[in-house]
Amino acid sequence: MLLELNHIYKWVKSGGRRVFLLNDLSLKIDEGEFLSLMGPSGSGKSTLLNVISMLDAFEEGEYYFDSEAVHDLSSKRKTGIFNENIGFIFQAYHLLDDLTVYENIETPLLYKKIKSSERKALVADMLDRFNIVGKKDLFPHQLSGGQQQLVGIARALIIKPKLILADEPTGNLNSAQSDDIMGLFKKLNQEGVTIIQATHSESNAGYGTRIVNLLDGSINKN
Amino acid sequence: MLKNHFKISIRNLWKNKTLSLLNLIGLSIGISSVLTLLFSVYAYYTADEYIPEKDKIVYLKTILKDGNNYREVPYPLLDQLVENSTEVVAGTHMHGWGNIWLEFEGRDFQKETSYANPEFFEVFELPLKYGDAKTALKEKYSVVLTNKVSQQIFGDINPVGKTLIGADTLNLKVTGVIEPISPYSSFRLGVLLPNTILEDNPIFKAQTNWSNSFSPIFLKLRANADITKLENQVDQLLKANYDDIATIADIKVMSFEAMRTNAIPVVDIIITSSIAAAFFILFIILVNLLNLNTSTMFSRTKTIAVRKVLGSTKRSLIIQYCIENGILVFTSILLSGFLFLSINLPRLNDTFGPEFGQISFDFLEDYPVVIGIILIGILSTLLVSVFPSLRFVKIPVTMGIKGKLQHIKHNFIWRNSFIILQFSIAILCISIAIILNTQIGYMKNADLGFQRENILVGHIDLDYKNIDVAQSKFNALLNTLESSPYVKSVSTSQSIPSDYYFNYSTYSDPVQNTDVRMRRSYADDSYLKTLEVPIIKGRHFDRNLDKADDHPAIINEAALKAFGWESIEGKRMKFKGNEESGYPIVGVVKDFHYQDLQNAVEPLVHIFRDRKRLEAHRFLTVRVQEGHEAAIENILTSTFNSIDSRKTYVQSRLADKVSGQYLLIEGILQTVSITAILAIFISSLGLFGLISFSAKRKVKEIGVRKVLGSSVSNIVILLSKDYIILVGIATLIAFPIAWYTMNLWLDSFAYSITIKWWMFGLAAFIALAITSLTLGLRAIRSAMANPVDSLKAE
Ligand SMILES: Nc1ncnc2c1ncn2[C@@H]1O[C@H](COP(=O)(O)OP(=O)(O)O)[C@@H](O)[C@H]1O
Ligand SMILES: [Mg+2]
Repeated sequence: MLLELNHIYKWVKSGGRRVFLLNDLSLKIDEGEFLSLMGPSGSGKSTLLNVISMLDAFEEGEYYFDSEAVHDLSSKRKTGIFNENIGFIFQAYHLLDDLTVYENIETPLLYKKIKSSERKALVADMLDRFNIVGKKDLFPHQLSGGQQQLVGIARALIIKPKLILADEPTGNLNSAQSDDIMGLFKKLNQEGVTIIQATHSESNAGYGTRIVNLLDGSINKN
Repeated sequence: MLKNHFKISIRNLWKNKTLSLLNLIGLSIGISSVLTLLFSVYAYYTADEYIPEKDKIVYLKTILKDGNNYREVPYPLLDQLVENSTEVVAGTHMHGWGNIWLEFEGRDFQKETSYANPEFFEVFELPLKYGDAKTALKEKYSVVLTNKVSQQIFGDINPVGKTLIGADTLNLKVTGVIEPISPYSSFRLGVLLPNTILEDNPIFKAQTNWSNSFSPIFLKLRANADITKLENQVDQLLKANYDDIATIADIKVMSFEAMRTNAIPVVDIIITSSIAAAFFILFIILVNLLNLNTSTMFSRTKTIAVRKVLGSTKRSLIIQYCIENGILVFTSILLSGFLFLSINLPRLNDTFGPEFGQISFDFLEDYPVVIGIILIGILSTLLVSVFPSLRFVKIPVTMGIKGKLQHIKHNFIWRNSFIILQFSIAILCISIAIILNTQIGYMKNADLGFQRENILVGHIDLDYKNIDVAQSKFNALLNTLESSPYVKSVSTSQSIPSDYYFNYSTYSDPVQNTDVRMRRSYADDSYLKTLEVPIIKGRHFDRNLDKADDHPAIINEAALKAFGWESIEGKRMKFKGNEESGYPIVGVVKDFHYQDLQNAVEPLVHIFRDRKRLEAHRFLTVRVQEGHEAAIENILTSTFNSIDSRKTYVQSRLADKVSGQYLLIEGILQTVSITAILAIFISSLGLFGLISFSAKRKVKEIGVRKVLGSSVSNIVILLSKDYIILVGIATLIAFPIAWYTMNLWLDSFAYSITIKWWMFGLAAFIALAITSLTLGLRAIRSAMANPVDSLKAE
């Protein structure tokens, strides 16, 4: 098992009342799964992904990641686990505007203090794999949305994460681009990467191995 | 990683080109002035470093009952002190006695000459470049030169043992060369002679008694000396020997280290205001960076969040930001070093050089200044990077990534206080500059009690090689001048306004026995007439009635009051202690400002001296008919150039000499003005940057407002109103401070203006005009933008 959430509650206070963003949510995810989180807008998909990534905290419940009790960990350790194991892919890509494609992909390696020669090799591999060698010196604004998301995925994969979290990765793309990305995810999953994606689209969800439906911060058993 | 930080930093700086440029300009100009101010302060404070044990050296200050004070003390006091005082280890006189002419291989030199006891080097253990300090002044006919003078006479060789001919007759052996001395030093040395050489001089001998004070003395004290004890010993010696004890209130022991500031009190003001100005400018620059950096941080929250997702630590983000600012700061330091060496330092020398001497920058000696500025650079970088970024790197990723900053409060209290402080400083400087400028204008244009226009002044004490030839040419010149239709009046005198000696003597009324200490000068019969100083009692000198041997005297009103006389009928005055019958007082002139207006008009006496005696006068003054100055100037210059003399003839105009008295204070005005301009300029740059940010942030709001029908001026007001209010508050803070400090300073002028409201009004107007202009320029650009474009941009 890769991770386990037991009775997670997350709320915010509004006018003295608790507004639950996650409400008694329990979920187990095995290594090698390709999970699709579905649900209407506002159902808590992003919130759940943030909690899983440890970027966001929760109020109550237990969370085990790789058998470490996340709910007891210091924020420093959580950041450490996140940096080692998780790649995050955003709907709005969030590439660094001032960096080229190459530099965007290289950045996570810089923070891991990987040697220059090794970095070069890894980034070159990645560019190759996504067929964007010709684009490596372009800046994000010179790319189409689909290409930008490709770079976003390459950047997330460069640290060889165990787990990929993707928050509506194709939300800004047309259906052809969308299918490409999903095909890619499927391939990655077959290579052994665990993937959790949040999505609105039935067809995207179909690429996954399991579908979980969210409603108002809880898992909808129907 | 470091390389990467640099790359990112340079890209960021390049991306915000306008802002970086604004910062670079502000920083470079600001730091170069900080560097200049610090360097001059450093040069000043280290100028006496080369004098060993200077904390054990003291001099004596005579304080008179009337509040005046001077460094000179009765001549025999030194020997008595050295002999009797338990506290004194060694002592020396140091005084001038005319600058001696030195001849070497046919060339003549005249340099600042001081006479000192053979023990001089026991008091001041100055390092000698050549020669032995122990013996240097022991021989009567020896001479010690400063390095500069030695190079002028001998070039680069070691001159010890060479002989100079002094005053055409003396064979002086060079016994030492003193290592280079800073121009800011307490010493104005050139040529140093043992005072034993003056022993044969009857005039000198006649002065070295208890009733004459013409030489300061310097004493080296024993370790842990008791100053009170020494002062008592001085006091006893005075009481025992000095017969004029009634006028002296006290003789105080003063530390040598404080001598420079005591000698020119303005120095203290210059140094403190330099430090204050450096601090102010630095503060203003740092505030700009802090405020602008805080503003840029708002647009960086998203990038920060993304980088954190990619694995960046907070520290790494802060380091990157430090590097970015460091590049800016240190590029500016390089540029400012360049500005300092090529513009500021030469300017500084132009301004204060004539008074204090030229200073130069030498890396090997002045490296502490470089280290200082680098330290300032590092600290500034840390300050302006760490503070603004600390808050922002702490924003949780999930918030930052959405660009939602609701929990980062737009807390403007700090920013606004800084802006108010910046502008308070700027407005303070502007007010000071305006008030000082008004004071200088007042002093320059005040009615001085004499007519300064159309008067030519020739400096005629030129050390003529053949005085007889010179005298006959001079007589011919006087005839030419007197017969010229363009010359209204000609005179010769020992002094002219702006150039009166400090030769005070105590005179007494032999009848009433009242004593008055006053200045004395010699003048011919037409000197006071040429200046058009009104006579209020008695008459002017008259060459037919007055004889120089009788010493007829004309005193000023201040002297009349000091003697307590109603009329001058039958009045005489004589040197105190002398048994002669004294000088007849023939007239009283209205008080005229023979010194600058920083000083009150003190008692003064002019004593009649024959016009024609060339060697007895220092100045020739000619009142010329307006418009004919050049012609007469030509006659004077060509005559004196045709006379063989050691000094070169100098020609000036009295009006210029009078204005020239204010050079130093005008130098201060210049420094204050430059500081004021810098302060307001750099502060405005900061505001320009800030309003650019809010304009950018509010592009959409402006667009919407315009669509809803807001006018351009409404939008300009919307954008700039807050800043204008801040500047307004700053004026209110600056005025009382300016009023207080300037009142304090103006009190030190004997004649001063009163501070008026319009001066502050003008300062406020200048500050507000400049800021409105800066803000307006930027605001109008935003307000004029097509709302359709601005709305699309988001
Ligand atoms: N910091 C927050 N404070 C208050 N409400 C929030 C906060 N973050 C998210 N929400 C709310 O929580 C709900 C779940 O949001 P989100 O997880 O983004 O949904 P989804 O990604 O499924 O569209 C929404 O109603 C949203 O408005
Ligand atoms: Mg969402």
